[in-house]
Amino acid sequence: MLLNSFLLLAGLLFCIGVYGVLVRRNGIMVLMSVELILNSVNINLVAFGAFHGDVGGEVFALFVIAVAAAEVGIGLAIVLLMYRNRLTTDFAEADMLKG
Amino acid sequence: MSDLLVAQNVFFGLIAVVMLVSAVRCVTTRNVVHAALWLVLVFAGSAALFILLGSEFVAVTQVLVYIGAIIVLFLFGVMLTRASMGDDASVASEKRAMAALVAVLLAAVMGLALFDSFSDTRLVIDEPQRFGVVSDAIFSQYIVAFEAVSVLLLAALIGAIVIARKD
Amino acid sequence: MIDLLAFARPPIDWHAAAPELTLLACGALLTLVDIVWLERAKAVSATLASFSLLAAMVPVVTLAVDGTDRAMFGGAYTVDDFSLVMKAVFLLTAYVVVLLSTDYIAKGDFWESEYYQMLLSAVLGMLVMTSARDLVTIFIALELLSIPAYLMATWHKVDLRSNEAGLKYYLMGVFASAVLLYGMSLLYGVSGSTMLSDINATISNSQAEGLLAVVVLGLIFVVVGFGFKVSAFPFHMWAPDAYEGAPTPVTAFLSVASKAAGFVALLSLVFVGFWDRSDVYQPLLWLLSAASMTGGNLMALRQTNAVRMLAYSGVAQAGYMLAPLAVAGESSATADDALSSVVTYLAIYAAMNLGAFAVIIAVARRTSSAEIDSYKGLFRYAPVLTVAMTVFLMALAGIPPFGGWFAKFEIVLALLSPGTAWGVVLGGVVGLNSVIALYYYARIASYMWVEAPPDNVQSSSPIKVPASVSAALILTGLVTLAFGIVPQWVGHFTDVSLL
Repeated sequence: MLLNSFLLLAGLLFCIGVYGVLVRRNGIMVLMSVELILNSVNINLVAFGAFHGDVGGEVFALFVIAVAAAEVGIGLAIVLLMYRNRLTTDFAEADMLKG
Repeated sequence: MSDLLVAQNVFFGLIAVVMLVSAVRCVTTRNVVHAALWLVLVFAGSAALFILLGSEFVAVTQVLVYIGAIIVLFLFGVMLTRASMGDDASVASEKRAMAALVAVLLAAVMGLALFDSFSDTRLVIDEPQRFGVVSDAIFSQYIVAFEAVSVLLLAALIGAIVIARKD
Repeated sequence: MIDLLAFARPPIDWHAAAPELTLLACGALLTLVDIVWLERAKAVSATLASFSLLAAMVPVVTLAVDGTDRAMFGGAYTVDDFSLVMKAVFLLTAYVVVLLSTDYIAKGDFWESEYYQMLLSAVLGMLVMTSARDLVTIFIALELLSIPAYLMATWHKVDLRSNEAGLKYYLMGVFASAVLLYGMSLLYGVSGSTMLSDINATISNSQAEGLLAVVVLGLIFVVVGFGFKVSAFPFHMWAPDAYEGAPTPVTAFLSVASKAAGFVALLSLVFVGFWDRSDVYQPLLWLLSAASMTGGNLMALRQTNAVRMLAYSGVAQAGYMLAPLAVAGESSATADDALSSVVTYLAIYAAMNLGAFAVIIAVARRTSSAEIDSYKGLFRYAPVLTVAMTVFLMALAGIPPFGGWFAKFEIVLALLSPGTAWGVVLGGVVGLNSVIALYYYARIASYMWVEAPPDNVQSSSPIKVPASVSAALILTGLVTLAFGIVPQWVGHFTDVSLL
């Protein structure tokens, strides 16, 4: 296997995630695109870790997974609160604050 | 080329195609539930890649946390906010085109950089990484990060309950 | 067979970890008191939180008196002058934020004990950040300070603007962390180690030349990721909205502590991790700095709301603080100057910005507004607050004898010291921007002193300022004046080195 095949796959996932963040208007959908990016990061980390024979990459990936879980948890709490108050999860429609 | 290497390459190709198609569908589908289900395929694909790379522990964690917890959270979120269950509000096509342009340019730049640096670097996976080595590293060199992440999870738990509960 | 007994506990220097452990213990105590006493815990939570922060100051002082640099886990976690100074800045900033919050949170419709728990966990993240010298610890510290901050911005649950502020801040924040992580993964890939010192050793040697493209890409992603965190132009979009919508004490915390934490991470990355790759990071930071100063100031000119104006002025201030980093790589003497000037700026910025927010909170008790128009005629009914606000605004503008001038002076000195054209030009940009900034700071000052109060503001009686807010005003005012009038006495505290 080539190291680059993993890195290129991760790179493409990263770009797809960035596209998603740019076009999505629904908070939950934006969050899913961010998860795509985090996933590409994990592929990078584990592939580099295997390449260098270093355990740091795997440990880093595990930490990223743990933090991603916390992020999604609080993100959905905020989306839920917003929905209860405004009946929308569309953050582009949220326009109380100018700018 | 040994049989093992051929098998590894074939599987990598299959997994990569599935992941890319699912990722693209995940960011283009108009239905939130479908997007979450496409995301499951991407996560499962990465878990398979981690096994190919010999990182079984990360693969298992990926399945447990991402597919087992995060996707379920997403689906809960979608269910509890029923209004957005259906179509995502449509986005102007110019904005889509701009975003696609940004993504393609980014992909081109990153692809060039990666080809330039790691053009034919081979990856040899002889045996899976041992769990013990991973945990030793977490509890020695990365102990500060480990303790900090436990505080983080507690803070996120308390905060999320405060924010999400009805009062 | 794997020998389970092969694991040896890493040596831990308990004294070096004492500030974090003290804060952790006190935070846990706060949570326990909340669980056991329920409603009755509300009365003591603010006191307990401020006690925790002051208690954590004690080991910081003893470490400073002791004076030796300490490193754990092969240098992944270090306690040196830089980290001690920043720990003190974070703890004092958080203490002032608690003073500002006490009355605001108790009177409003808030979850009180949990608020202080969030605050303390964010501060814990900041303390860890000051000592973190490897990618994993930096990332976790960043998340530990960001996640409670997202929640605190949303804390006013019934206020739609607060919900929106939280959602925007959160989405931008997680996207920024994801981009940052991608950059970190590339840097890890090049060096095969998460330690900043190892990364510097690998990316600077000639063997890594073939990997230059990936190094550049990784550096760009890392700098962009932190650009979001420190709200540098053009990655500042979330800041004005989040600042305006969040509860005002939280805004004060975000604009000072979160920004400073982003800078601390950036400083340790630049000075420890990328130091020998100045050909890559210098142009990048130069552009970011010039864009932030100019963009932030030009947009601040058009604001009609004091909090939004301070948000944009914060973008500009981030630009000033990034400036010395754009010349830092010239020589190690320049690097020391640059680092000291940024640390000085961070300390002074914390004092003057918190002071300005303290006045905004005090005035909003009467006017219930942060619109700039509502400051008209403030001098007629709140002369002390007017004087205080004028001091803080003039300090932000950089007029002697208030603290800000010393901060800007150090920055310009650091820019000019290597004598390169890039440094001189950037010094000119700093000077030009200080003049632009003077206009919008002076506008508020003239409204307060000269104009008549608007009709809808009851201006016959003085504003009653709660004791805790007065204490915050006195504390921040003293620091601002001390740095401005006797910089030679206090300036050496921020004279630090990372190399």
